[in-house]
Amino acid sequence: MVVRSLLLALSVGVIATSAQAEIARVKSASGIAVIQRGTARIPAATGAELQAGDYLETGKTGRISLTFIDNTRFAVGPNSRVAVSKFEYDRTRQQGSFITQVDRGSLAVVSGKIAKSGRDAMKVRTPNSLLGVRGTRFIVEVPK
Amino acid sequence: MSPRGFALCVICALAGCAHSSMVLLPDEDGGHGQVAILESGGKPTTAIVSEANSRASLGGAPSIKPLGNLKPEEAVLVNSLPPPAKSFTLYFLEGTTDMTPESAPVLEQIRAEIAKRPGAEVQVTGHTDTVGSSADNDALSQKRAEEILNLLASKGFDRTIMSAVGRGERELKVPTADNVESPANRRVEVIVR
Repeated sequence: MVVRSLLLALSVGVIATSAQAEIARVKSASGIAVIQRGTARIPAATGAELQAGDYLETGKTGRISLTFIDNTRFAVGPNSRVAVSKFEYDRTRQQGSFITQVDRGSLAVVSGKIAKSGRDAMKVRTPNSLLGVRGTRFIVEVPK
Repeated sequence: MSPRGFALCVICALAGCAHSSMVLLPDEDGGHGQVAILESGGKPTTAIVSEANSRASLGGAPSIKPLGNLKPEEAVLVNSLPPPAKSFTLYFLEGTTDMTPESAPVLEQIRAEIAKRPGAEVQVTGHTDTVGSSADNDALSQKRAEEILNLLASKGFDRTIMSAVGRGERELKVPTADNVESPANRRVEVIVR
């Protein structure tokens, strides 16, 4: 039984590791700027890596800017909570699927390869809307 | 605006329940794309924001208007976007990891580009010509990218910020028919983000 649980734990560990691929890197941050990963809260320092499923959170004077591995670029404004709910990217074919959720605050986006890979392959969700990104630069704002 | 709409707006303004909105900007190269409003207020829509410098309110029936000026906080936000990725191309003597004389100075340009980008991340991308099957070329370009990544690491580039990608014959520098040898297409592209 113990052995079996241990094996199970090990195999879960392996699966978790393979899912933890880097999808983006923080280029600059200021004020209160945090990456929330599950229950862990990681400072969004320059060079910090982002994984699919992470939340980006900023305080009153906080900002985070980051670049994804498909060349998508984000700038997160103050008082924001933004999740990268889905990021799947085949780097050989440059195709994928990208869903960002802006719970509150502001987000500027320059879309990258994923948005080009298919109609509405990149989507942004706000509490009351869903946007399909067709290759462009834009801002989304969600007031409190 | 109907009296009822006006009343709703006043209530919203007092309660601070402003609607979310989006702004479509021109691309950095002057063109622009589109944003489709797929759903608003829980209902599907067919609205498309297609003019650069427009503002769309979200949540109810989408309303799309010319932008006028960006608010100061929006301008600050846009200016805090990271710079676009920059791409460099390296050529090697056939079948070796010896760079061509023309490519040697490019290596120093890459080093300088990484140095001026805090939190830099580097993608080493292999490209082949069209000789052989596309599956073989995927494998070949991946192997080539890994080889050059190791070469860069041996020249002092930080291994922890680099990754190798094979693009096979998907992105020809010089378009050719299938099964055409092309030294110009056999290259390694280094993308600095």
